Parts: sequence; C-alpha cells; structure tokens
Amino acid sequence: MAVAVITGGASGLGAATGARLRAAGLEIASLDLHEATDVDLSLSVDVREADAVDAAVDRVERELGPIDHLLTAAGVYELSPIGGTPADVWRRMLAIHVDGTANACRSVYRRMIERRAGSIVTIGSELGLCGDAEAAHYAAAKGAIHGFTKSLAMEAVRHGIRVNCVAPGPADTPLLKPEMRAPEYIDSLVLKRIVKPDEVAATVAFLMLDEHNFVGQVLSPNAGAVV
Amino acid sequence: MRLDGIAGRVALVTGSGQGMGRAIAERLAAEGAKVVANDIDPSTAAATADLVGGVAAPFDVSDPDTAGAAIAEVEVALGPVDVLVANHAYMTMAPFLEESPENWWRILDVNLFGTGMLIERCAPAMAERGWGRVVVIASEWGVIGWPNATAYAASKGGLISLVKSAARAFGEAGVAINAIAPGITDTPQLDVDALDAGVSHEEIVRRYGEDIPLGRVGRADEIAAVAAFLCSTQAEAFVGQVVQPNGGSTRTWGI
Repeated sequence: MAVAVITGGASGLGAATGARLRAAGLEIASLDLHEATDVDLSLSVDVREADAVDAAVDRVERELGPIDHLLTAAGVYELSPIGGTPADVWRRMLAIHVDGTANACRSVYRRMIERRAGSIVTIGSELGLCGDAEAAHYAAAKGAIHGFTKSLAMEAVRHGIRVNCVAPGPADTPLLKPEMRAPEYIDSLVLKRIVKPDEVAATVAFLMLDEHNFVGQVLSPNAGAVV
Repeated sequence: MRLDGIAGRVALVTGSGQGMGRAIAERLAAEGAKVVANDIDPSTAAATADLVGGVAAPFDVSDPDTAGAAIAEVEVALGPVDVLVANHAYMTMAPFLEESPENWWRILDVNLFGTGMLIERCAPAMAERGWGRVVVIASEWGVIGWPNATAYAASKGGLISLVKSAARAFGEAGVAINAIAPGITDTPQLDVDALDAGVSHEEIVRRYGEDIPLGRVGRADEIAAVAAFLCSTQAEAFVGQVVQPNGGSTRTWGI
C-alpha cells in the first residue's frame, strides 16, 4: 500500500487531502502539533525542528513502510501590517513555512532518492503569487515556498521524483480569517465563494496519483482571487 | 485516478483526429463522457469517434457558421455540450520576416478566432445550465515565445488572455475555463518542427528531449490527464489559470 506523509495533517487542507488520499487506498501519516484523526499514524511534531521531523519520518518508514508521497501543508496565517510586524512574528512565520517545508522535504526527499521514485507537493498560496495588504510576512513565506519548490523540482527530476506546488486561494479552513468570510471580500472573488478544501485536496491527489509531466509548477485553485 | 463529475457529460474535443486531441477524447471517454470528435479532416474525426464510441463532427473551426450548424446537429442527438476542449491548432514555422500576411491570418483565424467563436457558441448555454468546462490547449510557446513561430506563439498568447477573460465572465455560473500550455509533446505536429529543422521526427523528439529537465518530451496521454482533471468537479476553483505540463522546460536548463 502506498504511503503518504502530510505535515499539518490534523486539520484544514492537510486533513482534507488525507481523507481523499485515504479513500483512494493510501496509508496516511500526519506530522502535526495536534493529534490527527482518521489517519494511519499521527505523530506530534513541530515542523520547525529538523531533527524531530527526521525522527518522525524515520518512524513512519518503520511503521508504515517506504514513503511514496509527501504533502507539506503545515502553516499558520495572520494579518499584520509591515510597519507593525515585530521581528519575532516575522521569523515565526518564515520558520513554520520555509523551514517547515524544507525540513520535511529534506528528510523525505533523501529517502526517495535511494528509491528513485516519489512525489512531493508543497502548499503555497495565491498570496505568494500576488501578495496583499497586511500579508507581507505570509506572502514572503509562501513566495519562498514557491521558489523552493521550483528549485527542488529541478534537482529531484533527475532522480525520478516529481515536485510541484499547489497555491490555493482563500479556503474554508480553520486558518481563514473572519474578514475573508465577509460579503465584501467574497464579492471580490470571481466565483463569489471561497475555495472548498476538497478542491485543493483533489488537485494534490491529481499531482500525486495521475500520469502527467508537471515539474516545478505552481497550480492555483483560487476561486478567481488571482486570475 | 478516477475523476469526479465527467461521466455522462457531452464533450466536444476539437482537432481530435490525431495526437493530443485524440488522447484527450480517449481519456474523457474513459471517464464516461459522451465524446464529440471534431477535426477538419472527416476521416480522422470518424476514426477517433469510432475509437472512443463517440460521434464525429467534422468542421473547420475558423468558419463559425459551419461550426455552429454542426454543433447544433450534434446537440439534437446527444444533448447540449457540457465540456469544450479546444485543442485544434494550425501551425507553420518560418523566420518572422518571411511570414506572409495570409499565413499569419490563417494561424490567428484557426487558433484564436476559432476558439473564441466556439466559447461564444457553447459557454452561455453552459452558464444557463449552471455547469460547464472549457479547456483550451494553448502552448508553452504562448508563454515564453519561440523563434520561427511568431504567429503561432502570438495566437497561443492570445488564447491565454481569451481564457482569462472568459473565465471571469462565466466562472460564477459554474463554468470553469482554463488553459493548458503544454511543453513539447510527441504528436504528429512535431513533423512541422522536424521539417523546419530539416531532420526526422525521431531526431527532433530526441533533440527537444535533451533540453527538458524531465529528459524527454511529453506524451499526449499526460496532457490528456491534465485536460480531464480540469473537466472534473473539483476543478471549478481553477479560474482562468494557465497550467504548464512541460517537464520543467520553462527556464533554461544547463547544469
């Protein structure tokens, strides 16, 4: 049975993708600060801690077997104006997204290289594509994930490993701010609604499971936030 | 991966007598769609229709009256078009200064105007029914340009803007309109490239493959998988996006 590791698998997009992949017959391991339900292995990990992530990935391989797929979905979101964002808030945002993504990729990618197979999908954001007011630190973190993903993809492709990014628009998850559920914001989206978690999950599942030649691409199901 | 929401839909695939279009027709049929196979060549359209258990509708996409009449006839038999995959293309290669105005217009007529007319014909009725999918096959060259392919690249770049605008117009009504900009893909269209370079089809496939990080050109069934995904239920959140299955060839590759 194929094995997928999902960082941030306890809630939101990570949980939605886990459910979809599990329905497709994969075994799911969640690496998250919080306990995940409806997975095959739930490990409590802070993705900022490289050694802890590596130990968790090692345990996944021992308990479930070789990892075929990785989704890096762990993240946080908050609004903060540039002038008023303290350094520790900036660093925390970058650490969770950029270090967190790189830590999980480093650990899993190394194992995938030996087997010359696997797929990695990172979660970016439409805010990483175009930015927005009061989202500079989040957009910077997500933009870094886009650049990281494209670069890793170019390294990994020669080892037979596919790496791509999904950059969703505002999705119906616990991270979404109340401002983005307000009618004025919803009206600004082409679809006049926010993105459903399963729409992101289906995109991730397609990238992992179907035959295609995407390499280092950023796919953005965003409900028309960025066309 | 089995995709949601395609079974039972009427799917018009233009230029599906061969290559990418035929692969898309096959994949959509495998997902349960009722395929309408269009090509300018009636014999290849019929062959694809036979292959996928669909209906042939041969017409020239650059002639809106003929196209409209042919689509109307098919809709009487199968029901309204739910999915439009505009895959048809006309391509020649020549240095920019040697391109004739007549050839420029032929490329723009078929690739850009033809697709615009098809969207205009099909999308409003999709919107009325509250569900529809349009997938336009653009090209990597419409994103990054290519020497000796100025008119073709211009037509494909125009398609990308067309898709974005149409997606804005019809998205709220449940009609997802997106573009695929494939990289070099092994189809009979590469014969044009081979002719331009003065080499065989196999040689141009090898040469192009060397410059692609994946180490090979794309396969038609890989592009078909992407087209099918964009027709699925969950693809509605894709609004005027340009997805690029190209083996990583967008940037130069030198290491």
